[in-house]
Amino acid sequence: MDRWVHPAIFFFIGSLLLPFVKGKAKKFLILLIPVLSIIDVAIMQAGIYGSYQFLNINIVFGRVDKLSLVFAWVFVIMAFLGALYALHVKEDGHHVAGSFYIGSSLGAIFAGDYLTLFIFWEVMAFSSVFLVWYRKERRSIEAGFRYLLVHVFGGLLFFTGMMLYYYKTGNLVFDKIFPDHAGIAEYFILAGFSLNAAVLPLHAWLPDAYPEATVEGAVLMCAFTTKTAVYVLARGFPGFEILAILGTAMTVYGVFYAVIENDMRRVLAYHIISQVGYMVAGVGIGTELALNGACAHAFAHILYKALLFMGAGAVLFMAGTAKMSQLGGLYKYMPLTMIFYVVGAISISGFPLFSGFVSKSMIVASAHEKGRLMLMSWMNLAGIGTFLSVGLKVTYFTFFGKEAEIKPKEPPKNMLWAMGLTSALCFIIGVYPKVLYDLLPFPVEYHPYTLPHLSEMLQILSFTGLVFFLLVKKLQPEAKLNLDMDWFYRKGARVFMKLDERVISVVDSIWGELYRIVGLNLLFKNARISYGFDRKVIDGVVDGSATTVRGVGSIVRKLQTGRIQAYIGLSLFMFFLILWFVLRGM
Amino acid sequence: MDFVKYIDLLRKNMKTLKKVLIAYLVAVVIFDVVLPRDEAHAHYWIDKVFAFWTVFSVVGCFLLIKIGKGIAHLFLSKDEDYYG
Repeated sequence: MDRWVHPAIFFFIGSLLLPFVKGKAKKFLILLIPVLSIIDVAIMQAGIYGSYQFLNINIVFGRVDKLSLVFAWVFVIMAFLGALYALHVKEDGHHVAGSFYIGSSLGAIFAGDYLTLFIFWEVMAFSSVFLVWYRKERRSIEAGFRYLLVHVFGGLLFFTGMMLYYYKTGNLVFDKIFPDHAGIAEYFILAGFSLNAAVLPLHAWLPDAYPEATVEGAVLMCAFTTKTAVYVLARGFPGFEILAILGTAMTVYGVFYAVIENDMRRVLAYHIISQVGYMVAGVGIGTELALNGACAHAFAHILYKALLFMGAGAVLFMAGTAKMSQLGGLYKYMPLTMIFYVVGAISISGFPLFSGFVSKSMIVASAHEKGRLMLMSWMNLAGIGTFLSVGLKVTYFTFFGKEAEIKPKEPPKNMLWAMGLTSALCFIIGVYPKVLYDLLPFPVEYHPYTLPHLSEMLQILSFTGLVFFLLVKKLQPEAKLNLDMDWFYRKGARVFMKLDERVISVVDSIWGELYRIVGLNLLFKNARISYGFDRKVIDGVVDGSATTVRGVGSIVRKLQTGRIQAYIGLSLFMFFLILWFVLRGM
Repeated sequence: MDFVKYIDLLRKNMKTLKKVLIAYLVAVVIFDVVLPRDEAHAHYWIDKVFAFWTVFSVVGCFLLIKIGKGIAHLFLSKDEDYYG
């Protein structure tokens, strides 16, 4: 098939139609958008599409190959499940933000050049922040601003790298970089990508923002940002040793915090760092098995992590809190939610017959195959922590344990259906891994169901369970906040404000005074001289254009209202304007 | 719902349940000991030690809980309104 339709189009256009339909038609449209995108991805053929010349740069909107397709598949499936889960949400803006977020993630994974990637990368950050803000609580609004600032910083790292890369090579083609050829430009890009993958120490935005997002928004956020980053790392930076080491460190760091946290969704958010750590390590190891593993794990992870966030979200939605210190004994009131949560928990822990068993093990096996026994052992330690925190601790203290006073009901039907479908997918992938393996970028010779692997996982899971029940009292969740790297900018910002009040503003006012006395006098004299020259020589020519510039200037001044929504609206408008100009040149 | 009844039934018979689970743990270890270890899969010493992952899990899980909670109580944990 020669014609190619970018799946992002459905999300961008479809979501903008939402405000104009009502009732059942609206729900139908919310589900129709991802269904169309699934069909689109299903009939897509490998190739290069949507390639244009723009300012001497080759822009590629559609690089379709096995690597981008495996991510596209899971993104559109997740889009459907997320839409189903959020079907009851009344605010159109929430659906629009979610759709723009998903659409731009798809834009990023199909992008063949850095410029296109960068634009979608930024739209992702600016649309997903609304999923935090729609919670409409003070904490969420603050967390959203921090999320945005950190991502703007990450975007700047990426942008700097991109400019340096252009300066070095004269093009912006986004392709595999060899570790030996990497210079400062490539490392800036790597840093920008790593921030979105929550690689240590650039990770604190994730457990800061995700637990403050809306119930439905967090389900989407846990799927797209970090996994888009895993995709770009797998595309651009396979075999970078630093990723193997940092990724493995992430796996343990994430579970360490997951073991001590109190809020269900914060446990899960920290645990994303751990899981993405496996994928980053897989990219760093860089063999075919490891890269296959990173992709397989991203695929499986999106599904079961979303399932866990759906379960935790359902508890938050019905009980009003996700803090385990206030929960307990919910199996009596929310048995279906519990079953679905447990399916997610045993999938993520790597129980045989569930998806984690067939995906995570590929990465661990790739470390084993290369003789990296240290990496393998750390990853298995993280596996212990996974089952301990997400599997046992959350399940026990939320659904069992001491019965709390809160007695919530099961969540709405659409939420239950979304959880049920996602559970089914986790099971299908675990029992019939071929459906996943066939999508992977390289041919798969790996067999997960071998006796040594079964024995390894059974020992790890069973004896973790034993130690949990021996030490269960030690693990009692506490209503506390645990410090992390965000301390540096949350407390650091206050130090800066004090510095600003006491030092910078004083220096600034002295400087301003100096400028007024010395600088302006000089400027006036200079101006008088050039005025004479200007009036006689240039005036006639420039007069017309000067008037125009003044006119534009006053329009721009009016646009600067200082309201963030106006800026975001404007940047979206500009984005579409650019897109229109580019597409017009087809 | 029936499902809830089954869980309640299990909770009432904790003693029997414990015995079954201990028997299961012993079976897991025996399974690893009798497992055929061919040269093709057992490249490294880690693959040849009997019940290696059992010891690894018990020690690892114990340390993870002790160190995690230890560091949390030492300096990581603050009041929930720490940042205001």
